[in-house]
Amino acid sequence: MIKSRPIYEPFRIDPAGRAHLIVTDLSALPEDIGELEFSNIELWVVHVVAPGIQAQDSAPRAFRAVADLLATLAVRLRREQVGFRLYAVGTEPFLWDVHNAARAAGLGKGEILLTHAGSLKRRVYCTHCKTMNEDVTTSIVKCRACNANLFVRDHFSRRLAAFMGVAVDAEVPGEIPAAEVLYP
Amino acid sequence: MIARIANILALSTSIKRIALVAADGAALPTAAAGAHVLLHIPGPRRVWKNAYSLVSAPDERSKYEIIVRRVENSRGGSAWLHDHAAIGQDIEISLPANLFPIARTAQKHLLLSAGIGITPFLAYLPVLQAGAENFEWHHCCKQADAPAFAALLPSGRDITLHTSRNTLDLEKLLGRQKLNTHLYVCGPAEFMDVAVATAQKLGWPAAKIHKESFGGATGGAPFTVKLAKSNIMVEVGPEESLLEALEAAGLNPPCLCRGGACGECELPVLEGVPEHHDHFLSAQKRAANSAIMTCVSRAKTILVLDF
Repeated sequence: MIKSRPIYEPFRIDPAGRAHLIVTDLSALPEDIGELEFSNIELWVVHVVAPGIQAQDSAPRAFRAVADLLATLAVRLRREQVGFRLYAVGTEPFLWDVHNAARAAGLGKGEILLTHAGSLKRRVYCTHCKTMNEDVTTSIVKCRACNANLFVRDHFSRRLAAFMGVAVDAEVPGEIPAAEVLYP
Repeated sequence: MIARIANILALSTSIKRIALVAADGAALPTAAAGAHVLLHIPGPRRVWKNAYSLVSAPDERSKYEIIVRRVENSRGGSAWLHDHAAIGQDIEISLPANLFPIARTAQKHLLLSAGIGITPFLAYLPVLQAGAENFEWHHCCKQADAPAFAALLPSGRDITLHTSRNTLDLEKLLGRQKLNTHLYVCGPAEFMDVAVATAQKLGWPAAKIHKESFGGATGGAPFTVKLAKSNIMVEVGPEESLLEALEAAGLNPPCLCRGGACGECELPVLEGVPEHHDHFLSAQKRAANSAIMTCVSRAKTILVLDF
C-alpha cells in the first residue's frame, strides 16, 4: 500500500482525556461503536432536518450540514482547554476536514482520533486545475472544472485532505479505460 | 572541540556562570535554543562528561555561556568547575546538541523550571521575545537562591519567580491552558515528576509535554554487566554510571544527552533485570526489561547486554 494512504484506528474513548467531543458526518454513530460508558462525552451528528421540524435539543446535537458542524467546531476548539479529546467518525473527506480544523486550533498527536465509517467515497484533487471533486466513488472521474478524465490515485494529501487525481489519458489522449465503482 | 574558559562569574556561593570561547578564536557553531554541550572535565582518575545547557542567545557565535550549580556530594564535575576551573584554561567540549527545542507549532509556551533548570529557558527567552510569542514562565527556587535567580530573570508579567510551594498552583495553571499551549519542564527529578504527573492527570498528551533533566547519573549499588558481543565483564562501581564504566573499559557505546532523555544510548538486555531511571523508554519496554538506557539506569542483578 502506498505510504501516504492513511490507516484509521478503531474507535475508543481515551480515558486520559477530561472532556470528549465526538463528531460525525453520519446521522448517528455506527452500531459497532455501541454504548459510551464514560462521562463528559458530547456527540455532534449531521442530520438533515426537514423544514418545520425542530432539531432535538438533547444529545446528540444535530447539524443541518457538514459545513455548519465544521464552522461550529472551529469556534468551540478555540475555547477548549488542554485535556480535551476530539474524535471524528465518518467518511474520509470529513475525517480530514476535522483533523485540519483541529490542527489549526493546536490539537496534535494523542488528542485527535479518526475512525473511518460509512461510505468509502473520496475527495479528489485535480492535479491539473487544482479543483476539488467531491463524493467520488469510481476509479476514474471527469474533473468538474477542466473535464480531464482523472485516475483516482491512492496517494492522499493530508494538507489538502484529498486523494490525487491525474489525467488517465495523458499518454494517448482519448484512450480512457472504463471507470469502476471502487469506493462505494 | 577545544574551548577556552573566557570568564567565570559567581552568581551565588554555589552558582557560577562560565563563558567559553573557541581556543583557536574561530566563530562557534550556532546552537538553537535549548541546546546543550558536554564538557569533558578532568578528574583524578577519569574524565567526567557532563551536559550543560547553553544560556547564551542562540545566535551568539563568539561564546557559549553555561551556568553551573555546585552539586552537593559532587562526584567531580561541578566541583571541579567551581574549585579548579580558571580563566584562560582549555577544556574539551562536544558540539552542541538540542534535545529540548521550542515547539514551533505551539501558539503559547508554558515554561516551568526549578533551581538550575532555569538554564535552557534563558536561551529560549530571546527567541520567544524576538518573535513576540505568547509565553508564561514560572520559575521555582529555594528562598536562599532567590537573589541569584531574580538577577537572571528579566521582570515582566509573563515571568514569575516562586520561592514557596504555596504560590504556584500547578493543577490550576495546567488545567486552564488552551489547546494550542505546549508545556516545557526542566528542573530536579522530583519537580519534573510532580509537574509531568499533574499534567498527565489533567489529560495533557505526551506530545505537548517537553522535558529535560540533567545529572541523572548519581551512582548507586555496584553491579556487574556481561557484554555478549564484546565478550567481557564490566564492573560498575558505586560512583559511576553503566555508560561511564563501559567507556572506562575502553568501549565506545552510543550516547548523547547522558541524562536519560534522548534514547541514543539504549542497549538491548539479554538477561537480568534493569533498574530504570530514564525518561525515554515506554512503559511496555520498561516492563519487558528488554532494553536499558546506559547513561542513568542501573541493575540489581547481573545484566547480559547485546553489545
